[in-house]
Amino acid sequence: MKITIDGKKVEAKRWDTVLTAARRAGIAIPSLCQLDSLENVGACRLCMVEVNHPHWRGAKLVTACEYPVESGLEVITTSEEVLRLRRANLDLLLARAPESRRLQQMSAEMGLEQSGYVRPDKGTACILCMLCTRVCEKLGCNAIAPAGRGLDKRIDTPFGGYPDTCIGCGACAAICPVDCIEMTDTAKTRTIWGRTFEFVKCAECGTPVITVEYRDYAIAHRSLPADYYNECSDCKRRKLAVKFAKVGG
Amino acid sequence: MGDGPRTLVIIPDKCVGCGTCKLACSMVKASGDAMRRTRIHIHNISRERYVQMTCLQCVDAACIKACDTGALMRNEATGAVELQENRCISCGLCEVACPFGHMHFNRATGKPEKCDLCSGDPACAKFCPHGALLYR
Amino acid sequence: MRISTIEQLDEQRRRFAALEQEIPWQVKVCSGSGCIAAGAAAVHDAFVKEMAAAGISASTSFEQCGGGTSLVAKTGCQGLCQAGPLVTVQPGGIVYTRVRTKDVPLIVTETLQKGVVLESLLYRNPNTGEPCRTREDIPFYVHQKFVALEGCGIVAADSLGHYLARGGFRALVHALAMDPIAIIDEVEKSGLRGKGGGGFPTGRKWRTCVNADGDERFIVCNGDEGDPGAFMDCALMEGDPFRIIEGMMIGGRAIGAKRGFIYVRHEYPRAVQRLQSAIDQCVDAGLLGTDILCSGFDFQLRIVRGGGAFVCGESSALMRSIEGFPGEPRSKYIRSTEKGLFNQPTVLNNVETFASIPAVIRDGAYAFASVGTGRSKGTKAFCLAGRVNHTGLVEVPMGMTLREVIFGIGGGVPNGRRFKAVQTGGPSGGCLGEAHLDLRVDFDELSAAGSMMGSGGMIVMDDYSCMVDVSRYFLKFLMGESCGKCVPCREGLFQLFEIVDGIARGNGTRKDLERIEKLGHAIALSSLCGLGKSGPNPVLSAIANFREEFEAHIVGRKCPAGVCRELTTFQIDPHRCTGCMKCRRVCPVNAISGEKKKPHHIDTALCTRCGACRLECDDEAIAVV
Repeated sequence: MKITIDGKKVEAKRWDTVLTAARRAGIAIPSLCQLDSLENVGACRLCMVEVNHPHWRGAKLVTACEYPVESGLEVITTSEEVLRLRRANLDLLLARAPESRRLQQMSAEMGLEQSGYVRPDKGTACILCMLCTRVCEKLGCNAIAPAGRGLDKRIDTPFGGYPDTCIGCGACAAICPVDCIEMTDTAKTRTIWGRTFEFVKCAECGTPVITVEYRDYAIAHRSLPADYYNECSDCKRRKLAVKFAKVGG
Repeated sequence: MGDGPRTLVIIPDKCVGCGTCKLACSMVKASGDAMRRTRIHIHNISRERYVQMTCLQCVDAACIKACDTGALMRNEATGAVELQENRCISCGLCEVACPFGHMHFNRATGKPEKCDLCSGDPACAKFCPHGALLYR
Repeated sequence: MRISTIEQLDEQRRRFAALEQEIPWQVKVCSGSGCIAAGAAAVHDAFVKEMAAAGISASTSFEQCGGGTSLVAKTGCQGLCQAGPLVTVQPGGIVYTRVRTKDVPLIVTETLQKGVVLESLLYRNPNTGEPCRTREDIPFYVHQKFVALEGCGIVAADSLGHYLARGGFRALVHALAMDPIAIIDEVEKSGLRGKGGGGFPTGRKWRTCVNADGDERFIVCNGDEGDPGAFMDCALMEGDPFRIIEGMMIGGRAIGAKRGFIYVRHEYPRAVQRLQSAIDQCVDAGLLGTDILCSGFDFQLRIVRGGGAFVCGESSALMRSIEGFPGEPRSKYIRSTEKGLFNQPTVLNNVETFASIPAVIRDGAYAFASVGTGRSKGTKAFCLAGRVNHTGLVEVPMGMTLREVIFGIGGGVPNGRRFKAVQTGGPSGGCLGEAHLDLRVDFDELSAAGSMMGSGGMIVMDDYSCMVDVSRYFLKFLMGESCGKCVPCREGLFQLFEIVDGIARGNGTRKDLERIEKLGHAIALSSLCGLGKSGPNPVLSAIANFREEFEAHIVGRKCPAGVCRELTTFQIDPHRCTGCMKCRRVCPVNAISGEKKKPHHIDTALCTRCGACRLECDDEAIAVV
């Protein structure tokens, strides 16, 4: 089907969202909480766009990440109002997490110097984009979830206790756009969500590779040989290089 | 060459370990501590013996098997295994799964970094002054 | 009692109607939440005891009455909560107000045994001082029109028999004979709109659901009423549970749903209990289950209790909650009539909407639509609360002016104070001032004025209410009840609160009003669900209608109403003070000094600005400076 984005005719597929159709056409729409491989939640509200249709009575403001395309849809991604709303929401986010480099970068792109609001004294820098919980769910662990509501809403383990199902993969910490998930790695252990995991150490050099639980998870859930997870990248590469050198010379 | 995509051919015998390929790679793919984390590495095996190592774009790639979200996909035109950033959930398993150590998971960005053959124009091969890297 | 055919239903109806005729006395003790709080349960028990002592055969169960046995029933809310506990005695329809257990023996001996009406317990018309015997005499009831609340406070809330005797399930019989599409046509023609606040045309909602693809269809009743000061749905669920069941069955028949859910908040245990009892009775009688009344219609009902989150009154959050997930709304770009509960086409209506359905089907669309305004048909229930003489549950025809509701039915503002504002629509609505008093109660008129119909809370405020403080209150409520999913609602309402709080504390700047308006509009336009979209309404409408009061806080650093503590100083006017000592006695911090019959004095250093003295003073001698 054909839709129009910023005056440009774009081919879209059924079940596409405005965001996917726009990205495919090379039209950038900012977003913080959306990933193609995760369920959309529409939390950050930075991908607001204006949509209209010849059959409608008037335009609507919607989140591009969730709005399904329909034939003849007209999308405007940069109207004054859309930009104003995006900036307003980014402003609110920046008040929450002023140290986030990702937010600083976005603010610079949108011409926002610093937040016009006070920093909330309650809660952490977490902007509740839900990437961490959705990633955890995607991996099948469900070790963390949102708890509470309003300003008290936070990401937590079940009842704030010991995360039984956590495997210490660290995906939540890595994906967090404001880096507010605490993860401490030492030579032997990784501590996250109040749980400490032992590392599998590289069979060659002893550097930490992956947590024991994550290795077991990978063995169980991925169709790769169990001994794939025992060495660090540097050692694997060096071993191959030595093999190459022999072949070559 | 035939119909298939071209490949990056490594000729360790010609490599003198000058590091031009690394420099070229860092210029194109620079990120953070660029020189240490380029997508091509030179291993000094013994005196005067160097081997360049970069992703082999394996036919039956372990990284693709390790990725549960389809974020790693083969670009049929170049034959390279490429990352779809917008599908990656930062689980980091691809790094551990790669049997050859060619996947680097960047904790700061939360995304893995790997050779994508510069979308069909690998800078390392282009700048290798000794003909030790060929793209053909 | 097993009712498997329409004939059996009619037979039972005739039997119970005859039984009702035989009952010598029906003592109906209001058991709405307000009257229970005032001691109605003890009054009910006292009647049972005293009637037995007086030798009057009485039962608490309608089904066991008749043949000389009188009924002592618990009914739903009878409306005039202000004067509770209320007791209505039939025949005669005598309404006794403020009945205490000590009054019960007298009612039994005088009214029930001698037929004498006790004037001391009657409601008195505040203007004329005349005692009023029945509902028809009490001005509070006279201007009302009961449709959804038709049976509330009249029928024994726990009796299927009484519901049948009063014409219950007639509409269902009617609907079962109709083509499902004809039911929807009828509802559409009636102009009935969703009474939970949004005002979406009910018929159109049902039709989109019928036209949507799905394996199964669901019907859901939203009983998660959470607006501060609103209790219509509570009253209906407690007072006329069978009517809600009947409405849902008709809806189920119309859209082809076999299963229905009633979502009731956990804070309404009595509603849950009465609904459950009603459902059980219907199941036992065969009115719920399979092949209802030999029509081939199967229908089951289940109560789901909410955990007390305000946001679960939002339809998509409510459905998530029923499914067992945290109650968070989702974007409704695909409507729940297409993909709702368990991803199936779902109709969700409010309690009051379902309670209106039997009237639409029984009396026909035209009769229903004969009441109301152009685009808002029928009636709307409101909970009158705040500074109004008659607080309570009312139902008025659409199109009645706010003035008529507040002054006609509500009896105006007490203690001779001045009316200042009325807050309609709860936390999603707005504050309207005196200039809006002639607005008509109508979905579109209220929205156009910056407020909304909402579920039906109506809080009246007098000149002792500060609009900055009221805005702050609602923002605080919403901030706490925001589910926290989307940024504008979670972070935006907090920032709005901070600005308004700053104004109330005397730290406001001239730019603040503009900031509130800007941020408020951004929240309204970019929030995910209705809570956030309408969240800024209270403060935006307060600024629109009471701007000078906000400016007084900002520029003059004064709270004219004497509510915001940081900006208030109380002073006793020595010329007005009669030295009655009332204020001195009531002051919790002993800040007031003075001798009897001599002007008193407030020590401002000690005073906490609680305002207790001002409410106590009969001479208006305590001024805000």
